[in-house]
Order: sequence, then structure tokens, then C-alpha cells
Amino acid sequence: MCLFLRVLLILALWSVARADGTQTLVVIVNPSIGVQHLSRREALDIFLGRYRTFPSGASALPIDLDINSNERKQFYLLLAHKDPADMSSYWARLTFSGKISPPFAVADGHMAVDIVANNPNAIAYVDRASVDNRVRIALEITP
Amino acid sequence: MRLLHNRFTRWLHARIRSSIVTRTTLAIVALSLILGLSFASFVSTSVERREQQRGELLQQQLLSTIERTAQIACYLKDSTLAAEIAQGLMRNRAVSGVSIAAGGSILARVGNSARTAKTGIDNSVIVRPIYSPFDPAERVGELALLVDREAIHAEASADSRASTLAMGLQAALVAMGVAIAVYYFSTRPIRAISTELHRIQIESGARLRVPANNRYDEIGTLVTDVNALIASLEGLLTTERQLRIAHEVSERKMRLIIEKAETGLFVMDNHGVLESWNPAFVRLLQLTPEQLPQSGLTSLQQLLETHAVRLNQLLNQCLSTGHSYDLDLNMAPPGSSRTVWIEVTLNPIGATALQGVINDISDRKQSELSAQEMASQDILTGLLNRRGLDANLGAVFYKPLPESASQLALLQIDLDLFKEVNDIYGHAGGDRVLRHVAGVLERNVRRGDLIARPGGDEFVIVLVGITDRSKAEEIANAIVAEIERPIDIDGHSVQIGASVGIAFAQAEGDSPEALARRADSAMYAAKRAGRGRVALAPEALAPEAVPNPTNAVA
Repeated sequence: MCLFLRVLLILALWSVARADGTQTLVVIVNPSIGVQHLSRREALDIFLGRYRTFPSGASALPIDLDINSNERKQFYLLLAHKDPADMSSYWARLTFSGKISPPFAVADGHMAVDIVANNPNAIAYVDRASVDNRVRIALEITP
Repeated sequence: MRLLHNRFTRWLHARIRSSIVTRTTLAIVALSLILGLSFASFVSTSVERREQQRGELLQQQLLSTIERTAQIACYLKDSTLAAEIAQGLMRNRAVSGVSIAAGGSILARVGNSARTAKTGIDNSVIVRPIYSPFDPAERVGELALLVDREAIHAEASADSRASTLAMGLQAALVAMGVAIAVYYFSTRPIRAISTELHRIQIESGARLRVPANNRYDEIGTLVTDVNALIASLEGLLTTERQLRIAHEVSERKMRLIIEKAETGLFVMDNHGVLESWNPAFVRLLQLTPEQLPQSGLTSLQQLLETHAVRLNQLLNQCLSTGHSYDLDLNMAPPGSSRTVWIEVTLNPIGATALQGVINDISDRKQSELSAQEMASQDILTGLLNRRGLDANLGAVFYKPLPESASQLALLQIDLDLFKEVNDIYGHAGGDRVLRHVAGVLERNVRRGDLIARPGGDEFVIVLVGITDRSKAEEIANAIVAEIERPIDIDGHSVQIGASVGIAFAQAEGDSPEALARRADSAMYAAKRAGRGRVALAPEALAPEAVPNPTNAVA
């Protein structure tokens, strides 16, 4: 019942989000890492592979969403001003060096939230709606 | 080698002087060289500049091409990617070094770095800042490119060398083409005409042929004009020849006239030295073959020695006045009764030569003399001549005289020193003296007395009807005194004298001739006794008797 209700709620929220076309993306971290807040640049540098650590020095593990997901598209568009094609091109260039690889991608926000919740080094971006109290919102991405 | 070089130089000089083709070709080659060189230098600089600009553009393009990747490499400090980029850039020949730096450290460095590049080599460094691919405001690194200008320069030089070579080749071909064209269109026809003109014989009627291809151009005009010139030259030559023939004929005529002339003609210099003369000259001067003058050596004065003084006067007169003068000369040999006279006329030709004419005036002189004889008056003095004296003396001698003045006296007067005057002052001077004496005589006699000049310097006075004899003496002395006074001839003071013989007509058995003879004898007696005297013919003595002269006045 509870699961059913929760699913129903998520679906409803999703549909609402779909219906008005607005989502609020947030960057989430594990509360144990001690990161209270990240700037947009700090968040982007981690996701684009520039830094593998949080500003505090703790190692960071970025989690991408599915390549076709709306959140991923929105995230990079808002933070890096790049569309998915640009982003593909970016990562393609880096395959030469082999040093840096694109972040590990998960199917949806819940999965990402779970991973962040369970991994202190993980960092992900999700729809605010997917966030629960196991994770901490380090950055709210407004358009 | 040096000899060969000298010979070549001489040959070249000769060719340049004598061959239009060589000269034209050399001029064109020199011009092409100069133009080609200046063009080549211009082209090489412009090619070089263009090449450099192209190089720079290429580098900019190159940088633009790799920019995005470089941005990523710098953004991520990815040295592998950076090395990849650097290697890629190094493939360009103009790039001698690449260095990519990010965040204070070198990500990649290939080839010469700007710092290690040797100074002096014209290298230049292009530094381009690299910005973050995600934030154009964030500078994440820089890319330094060391450009090898030498390589660019070498490439440009190669290009300009090629174009210079092409230009040189073109110039050479053009020069060759022009040389051939000049030879075919200009030199060859001109040489043909020149050779033909060289062989042409004037007045043979030959003319230059107009080359078929040049009929209507400058060469054709030249040939036509030359032909016209030849024609007019031939015309001139013909005219000239005709003139020469005409001149020769007229000269021959003139020579013939001069040769055959009855008039003696001659030319002499201002000293009288003869230069040329005609046969009549020799004839009139009665020159024997030994006396024939030598041109440039013999003078007229030498030929006419006896008249030398007067000839010199004539010569000076002519030269000083510039007019022609003449002189009558008696050519009769001494003792000859013949009358041979010539008239010498001199015409000055400038200041150094004279042309002379000699005419035989014997006939004229003869007729003058006979005319004078026919007349009763002496032309020179206006006194009676011999004929007049004879006629008038006869008349007064036989005419009965009045008782009171029954005496008739005849004074024979002969001038002393007259010949000298004649020699020094010429006939004109002599004539002046004779006229002067005539005047003296006229002043000292009475009307009715006779005065005559029977000839030369001889005068006769017939005193008609004097009362006593001393009167005749008185008159004679007065005359002698007056004649002795100096006479002025052309500013010269001349003194002559007179000797007088007096005879009186006798009452019986006397004749005019006897009277004249007695007076003549008395005059000779006076002369013998010393000049300037008066002598009386003795009374009733035989005409042969020598009278005693009486002293003249003073």
C-alpha cells in the first residue's frame, strides 16, 4: 500500500512536472562527506572530469543520468551551456587520452538518489522531487 | 684565355657597330634583364610577403582548428591530449615548436621552445590564450607556437626563383624573337639595298629595286627617295658637264682672242714683275728671243729699261689711287727716223697685281705729228709751230718796215737742263715747263712780235720793227733772268735756264733762213760759253764765223 501510494505520488508528480514542463534540478551529495554547498562551477568541474575531488579534498564520484533523460539534458544545458551533441563530442575527444572517462550513468533519479545515499563520495543531479532525506542538496540549479 | 677574351670583346664591338640585329638584341636582352631583375625582386618580395601572410593565416586557421581540443586539454590538464595536439601542429613545416601550458605547468612541449630558440634566427612566437570550453571567461591555459620563418622564407624564395626563371626565359625568348624580326623585316632588306647602292654606277641609268615586301613601308619610301636623289644627281652632273664644256669653249675662245689680239696684254705684280703676257706683248715691245721675259722674274722696267723711271711713276700712281693710268712711250731705236710709239695702260687689280694693256699708237702719233705740222700753231703752248714760224717769218721779213723801226731781230732760245726735268718729272712735267716758258716769252714781247716753238725745248722770237739793237738784247736778258727763276712742279721747285742767240736781219742779201741760221749759231755760241747767256750774231760775217758772246745779265 505504502509502496503503491508512493509510486502513485511519484507518477503524479512526474506527470505534473511533465505537464507544466518545469523541473527543479538539484545536485545532491551524501551528508557524511561534509559538503554543505557547491558552486555551479565546482559541481560542473566534477561532472566534466576536471576535478575528482570535492573542494574539501575528498574524492568525488559523479553519477550521470541516462543519456536520453530530460534531467541530463537540462543539467548540462544550464550549467555548461552545452546540448547533448556538444557533450558527446566533448567526451569523444577524451577517449583518445583514456585518462578521463565520462561519469557512470544510471537509469533514473531514484537510482541516483539511492547511490548517493549509499556512497559517501557520490554526487548526482536529480529532480528535486526525487530527493529524500538520505541525501543533502548541495546546489539548486535554477534556470 | 685572356687573349681569347680580348678577341671576343673586339668581335663583339665590331658586331655592335656594324649589326643592327646584334645591337637590338643586346639592347632587348639588357632591357629584359633589368626589367626581369626588378620585376623578380618585386615579385619575390611580394611573393614572400604573401607567403608569410599565408603562413600566418594558416597558423591562425591551424590554431582555430585545434582550439576546441586545446580548450579541453587545458581544462582537464590532459597532457596526452595536449601532446596529441602538439604533434599535430608540428606536422606543419612552418611550425618548429609547440608548447601548451595550463595552470602554471607545461602540458606538452614539442620541438624548439621559444626560450631555447637561437637568437638571430628569425623565429617568432605566437601565443594564444586558451579559455575554458564551458566558460569563455575562464582562462585555463595558453598555447605557444614557434613559427619557423626561415622555412617560410625558403618556401617563398623557391617560389620567387621559379617565377624569376620563368620571366628570364620569357625575356630570352622575346629577345630572340625580336632579333629575328629585326633581321627579317629591317636589317636584311636594308643590307640588300646598301649592297645594291654600293654597286650602282651613277649615270648608268641604274636604279635601286624596291623589295617586294617593303613596297609600301618606310624602306620602300627610302628606296624611292634614293632613286629620286640619284636621278636629280645625274641631272645635276649632266648640267655641270654641259656648263664645263661651255666654259671650256668660252675659255678657249678667250685664250684665242688674247693670243691673236693686236693688243699686248699682261699681268704683273705691284713691283712690275711680269706673270703672264700674250704674243702681242712680245711683238709690241720688239723683244728678241734672248730678251723674252721669265714669268715671276723679269719686270716690265727691265724690258723697257730706258723708260724705267716713268714706268715706276705710272705704277705708283696706279697703286696709290686705284685708278688706271696710261703712258705713251717712244720705242724708236736711237737714231731711227721711224715713229714707233706704244701706249702702256695699267689697271690695278687689288693692291698686289696689275693688268696691263699695250697698244701700238705709232699711227696715231704719226697723224698727231703730221696734224701738228699741218697746223701753224703748237698745241701745247699755243705759240707758232715751225710751219707757222716759217710762214710768218717770211711775211714779216719781206714786208717793208717803217723808217723809225726798221730793225728785225730773231732770238733763238734754247732751254738749259730741260732734258733732266723731262727725265725726272716725265712728259707732264716737261710740258708744264714748256708752257711756263711760253708764258714768260709772251709777257716779254710786244704785240706784233712772233713767238714760236719750232720743236722740243727750242723757242724763237721775232722782234718786228725795233728801233735799236740794244732793245733786243734787253728783252733777251729779261727773258733769261725770268726763266732762271724756280718753277713749281707738283710742289717741287725746279730751276732751268735759257741760252739765247740774237741775229738781226741785214739790209741786203739776207733771207729768213740765213737769219735763223745766224741766230742758231749765236745760241750755240752762248751755250758753249756757259749756260744762261745771250749771244749776238756778228754782223756781216760768214754764217760759219764764231761770234763772241756777250755776257748775260748777272
